[in-house]
Amino acid sequence: MAVSRLARLAAAAPVPVFAALGAGARGPVEELTLSDDVTLVDSPRHATVLLVVGAVPRSLIRPLSQVHDQLAHPRATAWWSSEEATLDPLPQATLIRAESDVVLAVGGLHAALLRGERASELDVLPDEPANPWRGLGANGQGGEGMMGGTPYGRPMAMTGEDRDGLPLDQLHLRLGPFLPAFPAGLVLDTVIQGDVLQECAVVGNPFERDELLGGALTATPPDPERTLAAMERARARHHLHGVARTLRLHGLDALARRTLALAMAPPDDGDRVRYLAHRLERSTALRWATEGVGRIDPSAAEAVGGIVARAAGWSSDARSDDPVYAELGFTPIFRHGSDAQARWRQRLAEAAQALDLAAAAGERRSDGAALELPWGDDDADRRLLDLLPGLLTGQELGDAMTTLDSLDLDLERVARAVARTERA
Amino acid sequence: MLLAFVAALTVTAGVFSVMLAVRLLRPHDELGTTWSHGVPLLGGQAPETHAWSRFHARYYPMAIVLIAFEMEMMVMYPWAVVYVELGAKALVEMAVFLTILSLGILYAWREGAYRWQ
Repeated sequence: MAVSRLARLAAAAPVPVFAALGAGARGPVEELTLSDDVTLVDSPRHATVLLVVGAVPRSLIRPLSQVHDQLAHPRATAWWSSEEATLDPLPQATLIRAESDVVLAVGGLHAALLRGERASELDVLPDEPANPWRGLGANGQGGEGMMGGTPYGRPMAMTGEDRDGLPLDQLHLRLGPFLPAFPAGLVLDTVIQGDVLQECAVVGNPFERDELLGGALTATPPDPERTLAAMERARARHHLHGVARTLRLHGLDALARRTLALAMAPPDDGDRVRYLAHRLERSTALRWATEGVGRIDPSAAEAVGGIVARAAGWSSDARSDDPVYAELGFTPIFRHGSDAQARWRQRLAEAAQALDLAAAAGERRSDGAALELPWGDDDADRRLLDLLPGLLTGQELGDAMTTLDSLDLDLERVARAVARTERA
Repeated sequence: MLLAFVAALTVTAGVFSVMLAVRLLRPHDELGTTWSHGVPLLGGQAPETHAWSRFHARYYPMAIVLIAFEMEMMVMYPWAVVYVELGAKALVEMAVFLTILSLGILYAWREGAYRWQ
C-alpha cells in the first residue's frame, strides 16, 4: 500500500522522456524542454516514456527496438508524428498526432503506467544474447580468454599505439543514431582508444532512398511567396534553436531555456539576442568547452559555405547580391576562428541581425532566385558530411560531440539534396 | 552497551525488512531485466567487441619500485633491533627476504622502470 502511494507520488513528478528522433524531429523536441512537466533525459535507462518523433526510416527500426528494450520497467512508447507517415515504428506505441498536446499525452501515459492502469511494455527483441557463449567443450565450457580470443562470440579489443606511446585497447563501436548529441539518423563507425576517436566513418544515410520517406523528400517543399520579414524571422528562429541545443549539450540548461524562449517568440529587434550573446560570451564554462574545438581549415570552410564559412573569416553570403537587402543596408557578418566557439557566436550575431532586418523590412519581398538559407545552400550539408570523418578523427569524444553539434548538420537535408540530384 | 547493541540490531533489522517489503511489493518486478538491459547504450547498436578491456596501469612501475626499495626498510628496522639476539637465524631469514625482493627489482629493471626520461 505504501508502495502504491509512492507510485501515485511518482506519477505527479515530471515525466522522464527519452526522445528518439526520426525525420523532421529536432525543433519540436527541443521545445519540450520549456515544459515543467517533462524532463528530456540523455539515456533510455533514466526514462519512463520513449518518445519517437517523426517518421522512422525502415532501416532504423532495429536500432529503435534496441533502445526501446533498454528502458527499465515500467515503460511506455509514444509516437509523435504527423498524419502522412504511416508505418508504425513499434507495435505497442501510442500515437500522438502532431497537432495535439504532447506534454499532456505523455503525462497521461506516465500516470497510467505508475498507477498500474497500463501494463509495462514487453521487449520487442528476443531476450537472448546477440553473441551467445561459444566455448570449446561439450558443455560450452572453455575457450580462448584474455589474449585475443572470442569470449561470448565477440572478439576481444586488441591493443594499438596510443598518442603517448603506451599500447591501449581499441574499441570498435558503432555509435548512433539515437544518441542525444547526434543529428537524427547519423550513425558513425568509430575506433576509440581511451576517449580518443582514432578512426571515424559515416555509415550511410538512413533517410536516403527510404521508400517510406521517398515521396516526401523528393517533393518540392511548399514555398508560398513569403515576405522578407518572415524569412528573416525564420532564420533567427533556426539559429536560436541551434544555440539552445548547444547550451543544453554543455549542461547550461537555464540559458538554453532562455534562448529557446526567444526562438519561440522572436522579439521585434535584435537587442535581446545581442544581450544574450553578451551574456554567453562571459560564460567561462562555455568558452572552455568550445574555444579551439573543431577547428576547420579556412579553405575547407569556404567550400562548405553558410555559417561555417562566415565563422572562418569569409564574407560569402548570397544575400549580399540582392538589391532589396542592399536597400536595407545589409552587410554580411563574419569573424575569424573557425572553431565551435566562433560558430555559436556567429549564429547568435546572425540571429540578431536577422531580427533587425525583419524589423526594417516591412512588407518588402525579394525576387532573388536563391537567397542564403539559414544553413547555407541546399548542398551545404552534403559537403559538411564529407568533411565530418576528417574533422572528428583524433579528437576526444567530448570535443567530437561539441564539433558535431556546432556544425548544424542535418541528414534529412542531405537526403533531399541527393534526391534532387538524382531527379535532375 | 547492551542497549546500544540492541538498538543497532533493531535499526538494521528494520531497514532490511523495509527493503524486503519494497522488493516483494514492486509492481513490475516479474518482468525483470533482459539481455537488452545489459547492453551498453550506443544509440541502438550492439557492441562488436567484448567488454573485457585491458587498461594500462600506469602507476605500476612506481608501485613496484616503492615496494622494492621503501617497504623493504619497514622490515629492516625491526630486524636490526632483534638481529643480535637471534643471530644466524635472522641473517638467513633476511637473505631469503632480500632474494625475493631482488627478483622484483630485476623485473622492474627489465620493464625499464629505472630509465630516466
